[in-house]
Amino acid sequence: MTTRRDFLKLGGVTATATMTGGVALSQARELKSGGADYSPESGTQRKPVPTACWQCVSRCSVIGYVENDRLVKIGGQPESIRSKGKLCAKAQAGVNHVYDPDRILYPMKRVGKRGEGKWKRISWDEALTEVSSRLKKLRDDGHPEKFMFHYGRMKASSSKLIKDVFLSTYGTGTIGNHTSICEGGKWTAQELTWGSHYDNWDFDNTRYIINFGSNCLETHTNHVSVAHRLVDALVANRVKMVTFDVRLSNTAAKSSEWVPIKAGTDGAVALAMCHVIINEELYKGDGEAFLEYCKVTADRNASTAEKVAALKLHLAGYTPQWAESLSGVSASNIEKIARELATTKPACVVSYRGTVAHYNGNDAERAMQMLAAITGNIDNPGGRCRAVGASWNYPKGPKNKPGSKKLKIVDGFKGQAAIPTHHVSHQVLKMIKDGSAGRPDVYMWYCYQPVYSNGDVQENIDILKDENLIPYTVAVSPFYDESSALADIILPDATYLERWDCEDMVSPAQIAEYYLRQPTVKPLGEVRDFGDVCCDLAERMGFPLGYKTKEEYVRETCENTPGVREAGGFEYMRQHGVWHDPSAKPSFYSHKKEIKQAALEKDGVIFDQATGVYWNWKKTGASSAAEAMDKGFVKTSKAFKGYVGQLINGKVYRGFPPDAVNKSGYFELYSELMEAKGFPPLPTYTPIPEHQEMQAGDLVLTTYKVNVHTHSRTQNCKWLTEIYHQNPGWINPQTAANLGISDGDLIKVKSKVGELETKALVTPAIVPGQIAISFHCGHWEYGRYASGNRPPENTDDTDLEAKWWTENGAHPNWIIPNDPDPINGQQRWMDTVVQVTRA
Amino acid sequence: MKTNVSSTRRDFLHKLGVSAAATAVAGTQPLTAHAAVRKRNIQYAMLIDTRRCTGCHACSVACKAEYDVPLGVNRSWVEYVEKGDYPNVTRNFLPRLCNHCDHPDCVSVCPTGATYKREEDGVVVIDEDVCIGCGYCIQACPYDMRFLNPVTGTAEKCDFCEHLVSKGIQPACVETCIGSARIFGDINDPTSEIAQMIATNPVSVLRPDKGTEPNVYYIAADHSGEHERQRNRYVRVTTHRKQKIRR
Repeated sequence: MTTRRDFLKLGGVTATATMTGGVALSQARELKSGGADYSPESGTQRKPVPTACWQCVSRCSVIGYVENDRLVKIGGQPESIRSKGKLCAKAQAGVNHVYDPDRILYPMKRVGKRGEGKWKRISWDEALTEVSSRLKKLRDDGHPEKFMFHYGRMKASSSKLIKDVFLSTYGTGTIGNHTSICEGGKWTAQELTWGSHYDNWDFDNTRYIINFGSNCLETHTNHVSVAHRLVDALVANRVKMVTFDVRLSNTAAKSSEWVPIKAGTDGAVALAMCHVIINEELYKGDGEAFLEYCKVTADRNASTAEKVAALKLHLAGYTPQWAESLSGVSASNIEKIARELATTKPACVVSYRGTVAHYNGNDAERAMQMLAAITGNIDNPGGRCRAVGASWNYPKGPKNKPGSKKLKIVDGFKGQAAIPTHHVSHQVLKMIKDGSAGRPDVYMWYCYQPVYSNGDVQENIDILKDENLIPYTVAVSPFYDESSALADIILPDATYLERWDCEDMVSPAQIAEYYLRQPTVKPLGEVRDFGDVCCDLAERMGFPLGYKTKEEYVRETCENTPGVREAGGFEYMRQHGVWHDPSAKPSFYSHKKEIKQAALEKDGVIFDQATGVYWNWKKTGASSAAEAMDKGFVKTSKAFKGYVGQLINGKVYRGFPPDAVNKSGYFELYSELMEAKGFPPLPTYTPIPEHQEMQAGDLVLTTYKVNVHTHSRTQNCKWLTEIYHQNPGWINPQTAANLGISDGDLIKVKSKVGELETKALVTPAIVPGQIAISFHCGHWEYGRYASGNRPPENTDDTDLEAKWWTENGAHPNWIIPNDPDPINGQQRWMDTVVQVTRA
Repeated sequence: MKTNVSSTRRDFLHKLGVSAAATAVAGTQPLTAHAAVRKRNIQYAMLIDTRRCTGCHACSVACKAEYDVPLGVNRSWVEYVEKGDYPNVTRNFLPRLCNHCDHPDCVSVCPTGATYKREEDGVVVIDEDVCIGCGYCIQACPYDMRFLNPVTGTAEKCDFCEHLVSKGIQPACVETCIGSARIFGDINDPTSEIAQMIATNPVSVLRPDKGTEPNVYYIAADHSGEHERQRNRYVRVTTHRKQKIRR
């Protein structure tokens, strides 16, 4: 709002300028993009605090603007080489978290039955005395593993301090994560192929993009940093992008071509493209050259010609006609796109959850890796690149750690997932119920929503409520969400805008960016960052970590990290928020780096004849060189930690170092680890069993995320929920007509585990035979903006009276079972068969 | 609802830019009444390249935060236009904000003079000290850009973040835009990015038939409306705000 005073002031400036020449007025002033903000009311400058977002895992650098000790605005960080000052809607709405009138501001203890909703405020001293006495008893009794810690998002310094310092000094290894409900399956498939996880798509340099199931313009693990580059590629560089998706996402809508595809058939189409590329010899050139670094047959010394022959044989049955019959994508289009991909250099192969969150997701992702490899688009400018991020030098905490004990409940039931390198978190509660692998006495969760975020919601509630199954539950959360409601005690966490962290997310510039999160305002009420709480708990249990607060830990990390230290360390980071090495060049082709002879002659380095790997047995689980030689690289526990280099045609290269499994340094299209587990070694298409048994009228339920929400954590943000608070089921007009459903009808969607009601959105923007229902909605707790329900404690907000929506949508997880990909344990979000009827 | 701005209009604007600069240098005054409107040295304007818009709503929320806009009302929002038949379906995005028109209907109906077009830069502003909240301007705006702030009771709308621009900073929606779809600047300066983009691209404005001469331009905008359904074509317009119907 503009006041009369402002007008006069501006008028005064104008008059002065006119008198002193007037020419200056013929041009508007040069405007800078961000970096400062002013109050529209008073005109006074708002205090900028460089910090980092946490709304999604992208964790962009941002600047919080503070006026009268209140955070009023979040802006982009123009100095960031990742986001370049751009921000999404979610980041902007972070303010709403801090001032959510339904935040939990004090430690709470339940006074009724678990889940009954009766609470009392307690002091921190009382809360931590209670928690630490329970934890200490377990530790003193020799059962630290009965303390289960389950986190959702915990990254960088938070992860190091909480997991590597606090939990490991305590001695529990019963630690769950939530990666298997995100994209853990993609990571396992990549670890099997090129060793590490995370692929960065170099949109800055690409000429062609093929996208399977990624909605990176709306929601992605590196969203803004990738999205602004993709728009530049599409518009400024006129790059062609083809998107395969069951649904016209906004990413598909902005693509040059949307190719509708049936759910769970991405791998079939990718393999058919590989078939075309090999048969038409389009791999020649870059693809052929890259095959030198690939393992394609059991023989690690196979020639390129032998590798091509093996691929040809393997792909013989994967014809475009075969893929058409499964996917609905025409054979001629598959051929056309395959040729475009193989002949436009460089090209980028993109994939995400649409491809991966299926029964056959592991090999669909491996097929994507194959497609990129045989076209020579691996770790090259413009291609699918290995991720580059900050390497902070974190302090390790107390030297004497007891060695962790753990309950085997985080990797699923025996036989459920063969290689779950990112765990099977959605089975944790079922395993606790089963009890055969033991049960925790204390189940604590942090930045995680076990009830709402997994499938089988009713079962999650039933298990978490049962005090016989789980004697003591602790929620660490800023909010009264569906899971906090089932806690025995709630430790009110600081929001990300009130805490410290070193941050490190992948940089699409292929140059590492170091950045800081610092409090924009003093934490509200009595909330405390859980990092600080861990320091306190450790002290109370008699094993001080050496830090009183996370701030101390972060400060020491900044002072210890080369580069950051020389730039000015902690104080520099506080002032600037971001740092990157100005002399660094983008990282590409790191597999081609030759390993120096001296590194191969180091003490402990031995050669593994079977794989051609040089490795240092001393860094592995082997107890002697003899044992290591005897067992070999593949069968030695944690051998991957000793990897040095890969022998390829007489030279030793850095290759593709293993990061989670004992694979060789080759880019393994042929995986002996898969073979050893009874799966085909080369990427193979497996139909989704439930989809083969569908009855007439059955639909496949697909899930997705929208651009203004993260999965479960943002419906309390009023500015976001105002935009998106209802999630109708998308149905193709032809499908709707067959089911007698019209646009706007109330419908019932029923699966083998449950039923929900929502409205039908009849739209041509989805493949026939599917129904698409987004996440985010249908909260029954999480405060008044999210669910309409008032938590046990709350404050006031004038906007509550202006809240104009009363419906809050449906949550699909009530009807999606917790079922893993049999190879990597990924939750199968996109496979559920449902019956849809008019309600 | 929309047509392309004619080449004559573009040429006109272009010439104006040139003449404005020449005028300033020469220190002479234009003579005609119509040109008196045009003689303004600076006319701030926005160009939205919808090819670069991903419909992400960052602009809408940045605006909410910048002004702490209450729920239920908006200074800035993004409409989606989805149309076609499977599988040939498109979805386009149309960001909306005040057009800061050359001939603003809101100004002519304001009984108190609270709403006026600033001489120095052509921004249409509201003096909340003078506004009596009668709502005439809200009815008059053909673009539905105005609302009565439920807290203050006065009329409100986008003011091109004049509190930032006057301090040398881009408007909040421009700063945040992930696709860099928004170009803000002085349309009367022929060397400005916005003037050059308008000179070299086909552009359109909303409802040119209203004769308001908007200063918000679009590249490649999809102006389809739900009225096209009457021709039995699938068109779905989503406003993403409390008011579901687009004017």
